[in-house]
Amino acid sequence: MVVVALAAIAFAVFQPIQVLPRLRLAPGYALVDQTGATVTSEDARGAITLYTFVPLGCDDACDAVESTMRQVRSRVESGVDLGGTPFRVVTIVLDPDPDLADVDRARAAIDADWPWLSGSDGQIENVVGLGFRRSTDVDVFAPSYALVDGLGMIRGEYRYLTLTGDADKLVRHIDVLGGELRNDGGFASFAYEAAHAFQCYP
Amino acid sequence: MTATTPPTTPPTAPPTTGHDARVGGRDPRRRVRRVGFVVAGLVVVAAIVWFGLGLLRPHPYSGTVMQAPTAAPSMEGLVRSDGTPVDLADYRGDLLLVYFGYTSCPDVCPTTLAQVAAARRQLGDDAEDVRLLLVSIDPARDELDRLGDYVRSFDPTFEGATGEPEAVERVASQYGVFFAEGEAIEGGGYTMDHTSTLMGIDGDGHLRIVWPALLDVDRLVADLRELS
Repeated sequence: MVVVALAAIAFAVFQPIQVLPRLRLAPGYALVDQTGATVTSEDARGAITLYTFVPLGCDDACDAVESTMRQVRSRVESGVDLGGTPFRVVTIVLDPDPDLADVDRARAAIDADWPWLSGSDGQIENVVGLGFRRSTDVDVFAPSYALVDGLGMIRGEYRYLTLTGDADKLVRHIDVLGGELRNDGGFASFAYEAAHAFQCYP
Repeated sequence: MTATTPPTTPPTAPPTTGHDARVGGRDPRRRVRRVGFVVAGLVVVAAIVWFGLGLLRPHPYSGTVMQAPTAAPSMEGLVRSDGTPVDLADYRGDLLLVYFGYTSCPDVCPTTLAQVAAARRQLGDDAEDVRLLLVSIDPARDELDRLGDYVRSFDPTFEGATGEPEAVERVASQYGVFFAEGEAIEGGGYTMDHTSTLMGIDGDGHLRIVWPALLDVDRLVADLRELS
């Protein structure tokens, strides 16, 4: 028993395996993308999704956020092993019912397979305000990101006071998530559950 | 007079067994005893380690568990089939399973409810603390009476709830559930597209676990025993 207790303490202290916490459920939604198609939270099931939330009237600030998202996606696709799990980036527009067909940035994202989602005032409040717990105020823009796993759990929340997103941190956390996905099943999954139990978070 | 010499006794041959052998550690009985002690000790240590590992080994849940669960989102605005408002505080002390579905659902909803009912039967007396609430995502068709009859047809303890569309949408979203009107059915009516996860709220009102659709009843029973 002493040996087991020492091993448990060593695991908790040295954290040989790290995991991202399962914070809570990401909100369910059915929103419209910049092509007019309905996109739902079920479309994200089975994929790791990085969300960001932007008002349309924030050209420079949003440029910085978009740059971070592009950088993260590029680095994840080229250098992070997610065990075959797809990686997506999604932008949710805070302005209610905008015509995204008239927004250059949103149109440009079509070719990049990057959905920009929008909805009614009530939908945005439900999804962004209550679900992701982000401000829906379009006049006060605070760059933020949410990382959601394939089961629909929020695994990371990032609120930055500067306009420069921390792509390094996001990529590092996505890599940690990848480790859990690569070792899903078998004895290794017990070790990862133990890491959750001991809250071995980066 | 001749002195006689007392007969000398021949030197006693050293014993081949007894004291000297014990000093030399060559007593087979003693050796057997020692080996026995060592083996018994190893068995005891192994049993302790195995028992300890058993206690520490995490239960292999079939759902996804949240280690630091937060309070389950409020269901304000929803009404139970008996007409009373849904207040999660009413379920404190019990394990509340929450499922979002609808009574006209052709497949996954009745399957899930039947699986939970089967799990409750397997739990026997332990099922007393396990309750289920079906939240209808089709309030236009699921009137309270119809909803109540539907859930009780699976298990008399099951409850149903619904509300105004805005309230149902708000609550469903907080539980990670999407829903929308789906395809029209030949001859009238329509299906609903929806997320079909089952969620567990523990006795402290925390959202603890989410199960995917199509459960394995035996594993669900094991999970429920662990949680309740």
